[in-house]
Amino acid sequence: MIRIAAVGDIHLGEDGRGRLRPAFETLPDCADVFLLAGDLTRHGTVSEAEVVAAEVAGLPVPVVGVLGNHDYHSDQEEEIAAVLGDAGVTVLEGDSTVLDIDGTKVGVAGTKGFCGGYAGRSAGEFGEPLMKEFVRYTRRCATGLRRSLENLAADGSDVRIALTHFSPVPDTLAGEPSEIYPFLGSYLLAEAVDAGGADLAVHGHAHLGVEHGMTDGGVRVRNVAQPVIGRAFAVYDLQVPERTRPGGGPMDLEKPGSRRT
Amino acid sequence: MKPTDTGEGAYRVARIRERLAGDDIAELGVRVEERGGAVLLTGTVSSPEQRDEILRAVQDEVGADTPVRSDLVVASTAAPDVHEELP
Repeated sequence: MIRIAAVGDIHLGEDGRGRLRPAFETLPDCADVFLLAGDLTRHGTVSEAEVVAAEVAGLPVPVVGVLGNHDYHSDQEEEIAAVLGDAGVTVLEGDSTVLDIDGTKVGVAGTKGFCGGYAGRSAGEFGEPLMKEFVRYTRRCATGLRRSLENLAADGSDVRIALTHFSPVPDTLAGEPSEIYPFLGSYLLAEAVDAGGADLAVHGHAHLGVEHGMTDGGVRVRNVAQPVIGRAFAVYDLQVPERTRPGGGPMDLEKPGSRRT
Repeated sequence: MKPTDTGEGAYRVARIRERLAGDDIAELGVRVEERGGAVLLTGTVSSPEQRDEILRAVQDEVGADTPVRSDLVVASTAAPDVHEELP
């Protein structure tokens, strides 16, 4: 069993120093890994990233994160990732990391992701260059997520987690106005989660949504936006799945659930 | 506040949302509605200071004659007391 702590959308401004640190210091007692699901800052500035970095620096559990749209707002996302990296956070964007937790290989694949909507009600790659690029950007994020999950499978990760900021499913958006669902995530991310064979998908972004959802392929999805979980973080005790075949390759989309025993 | 047939009320809600999403406050997670002649704000924000800043900005946007009702909640910073088991 792996204990996964996660939170997104903590939106720390420059006045947020120390706000979450007392809770984060309890992490070693209750979690094996800590995931940050983006929107860590309010305005996306380096000075705010330094506040975030101080909140998580030196924690005795590995910290893995993705950035969110707020973290991109001031065009300083690379500097923010560097500041967090200096504090020991592994910041993912279209790549993955593997953690050895008491002999269990825990793989985390991450991307911020982007929007576009959900199957049957989604934006299409058609028309104006801006519209096409909108959809292509989401597609690139999703492709990076799928490939990273596939790499984790090929490398024999025992547990595989998909970490995004935008939501892969509409389930966890319940409570948000349905009109804005297309701006909260994309089915392309869920398709990547299913095709890549994740065991759990964690995201943020939807403050008015709900915590629980599931992809069409049967992968559990958790919205860990802080306003949703109502705590400094949530903890999921994930049973290490038994794979049907050595190395636990990505699931066959033609046979949903076929990767599990 | 007297929304007119020209849709002024809807435009006002949009302007409030734009103000909250602007560089100063950068808040996209608050729901803004017109309710009974007042502006109603709901949602969860990250700190009491953020909540107070939002209320000041919205009151400034709509003017002193329009009541602003707040049901904003400040996010808890407490550690969780339960785990969810995922078998």
